[in-house]
Amino acid sequence: MRAGRVLTYLLLALFVVVYLFPFYWMVATALKTLADLYRFPPTLVPSPPTVEPFISVLFKRGYLRLLLNSVVVCLAAVAAGIVLSLLITYPLTRLSVSARFRRGLLGWILSLRFLPPIVVVIPFFDIIRRLGLYDTRSALILLYTVFSLPFSVWMLKGFLSEIPMELEEAAMVDGATRLVAFFRILLPQLAPALLATGVITFALMWSEFMFAFILTGTPRAQTFSIGVASLVTQFEIIWNEMAAVGVISALIPITLLLAGRRYVVQALTFGVVREKS
Amino acid sequence: MRTTAVLDADERAVRRATHAARLRRATPYLLMLAPIVLLLALVVYPMVYNVNLSLRSYRTGEFVGLHNFLRVFDDALFIESIKATAVYIVLAVSIEVLLGLGLALFIHRTVTSGLLRSLFYVLMILPMVTPPVAAGVIARLMYTPNYGIINYLLHAVGAIQRDIEWLSTGPTAMFSVLSVDIWQWTPFVFLVAFAGLQAVPQDILEAAKSDGASSWNLFRYIEFPYLRSLLLLVLVFRVTDTLRVFDHVLVLTGGGPGSTTEFLSVYLYRVAFKFFNLSYAAAISFYVLIIASVVFTLLQRLLVTEAVM
Repeated sequence: MRAGRVLTYLLLALFVVVYLFPFYWMVATALKTLADLYRFPPTLVPSPPTVEPFISVLFKRGYLRLLLNSVVVCLAAVAAGIVLSLLITYPLTRLSVSARFRRGLLGWILSLRFLPPIVVVIPFFDIIRRLGLYDTRSALILLYTVFSLPFSVWMLKGFLSEIPMELEEAAMVDGATRLVAFFRILLPQLAPALLATGVITFALMWSEFMFAFILTGTPRAQTFSIGVASLVTQFEIIWNEMAAVGVISALIPITLLLAGRRYVVQALTFGVVREKS
Repeated sequence: MRTTAVLDADERAVRRATHAARLRRATPYLLMLAPIVLLLALVVYPMVYNVNLSLRSYRTGEFVGLHNFLRVFDDALFIESIKATAVYIVLAVSIEVLLGLGLALFIHRTVTSGLLRSLFYVLMILPMVTPPVAAGVIARLMYTPNYGIINYLLHAVGAIQRDIEWLSTGPTAMFSVLSVDIWQWTPFVFLVAFAGLQAVPQDILEAAKSDGASSWNLFRYIEFPYLRSLLLLVLVFRVTDTLRVFDHVLVLTGGGPGSTTEFLSVYLYRVAFKFFNLSYAAAISFYVLIIASVVFTLLQRLLVTEAVM
């Protein structure tokens, strides 16, 4: 029995090492010098390790600009997305709305999650080109905001329906207006939920590729994902630099989602997995 | 004279009250107006726009009726891409479900320490939250013929004599693209199934165990019924997401070699932005939309009968 358990754990440890080895290989490659890169057999540990590839992509290739674009686009879209989804979820959970409308709206918003984005992006490309918005961060902010709504509406709907209404009602009986009750009573209670929703939608937008790929053309508006792809698909690949951008690109959502790990599965399944309703 | 004045005032008060009540009733809908209009403008309007686009020739702008819609039937590349997409969906989803479910059962049965469970849980989140383009980078590093660690390892154990050009032949390219999907999304199935297993009442399991039920029977008759609707949910997500696969394919193979990994989204992208025929692309995207809706509706109907959502 004892030996069996040890064997099981060894097997599991081996599985984890093999499963996560690709990550290690990317990080190791990103820290290698060019000479180290072409050594045969390939070295498992970079010797000597160098951060040169990171500096080279960020500063010489100008990827800092793409990083900045990504941060600006995602932050703006997260903020706008949260305001808009509160505008939907607050009335749905706090004010009197017909049950049929409520179900219909939530269902429709959920179905948008399953809409293949390429279906929308082709006409959208045509429209924004005509509007002169091609290759602007504004176009991306608009689209990211809208496409984050299914997630944030469903997340916030779940959180809001869990916060009891008594405190707000008591405040309103004491003469506070609904607006005051919202800002003074509800919002502080909702803050952790807003943070979780923001963190997860930020990570999802950060990973987005197709819209940015089709709707931008220059570093003026390109996001970091586009930078990653352009290093991979260029004619002669510089492996350590490509790995370095891969590391930066993966590090941000991984850090964010590890912080919000309690909500990851819940978010990806629209709350179904945590609560059955 | 006096009485009518009083009546007037009353009537006015009543009218004001009903007006206020009507406004109060309308408030929730007014609040929701802005986001709903935005959703309609940015998601539904483009689809309407697509209709107009697809019925015209993109070059001349002249009305061509259903020409673009009928063209697909003679388009060998479109048919190829439908086939490739179907193969991709079936293989990716079935392997992910089997592996993820197996893994969840294995961990659930054998790992009892809470700390190890949550450690494993966290580690499995990592591939899933990696951006697809970064996963493409990783796969590029692993599969590349010269620097790639996979060829090196295969050489080392004597499995191959000559480097495999993973991304340059059809079957191996399909394998490479699939492997990324499976690596990233098996954890999703695992996490959902694992969460579901926690919800199975312990007393029923204990009772069955003391009656001498085998491990398989425990799964088949007690755990599986609890998991069924969750697995359907996983299917809805995985099938619709593999149907739209784009990012890591573009990075890894760009749809090649030839058109062996040119899945629907990749093909659509090429028609729209390489051949620059937005009208034909719009017509194709209707077919994609129809496929997506049919898949979604079918799976959702199954789910509703299971009463999860």
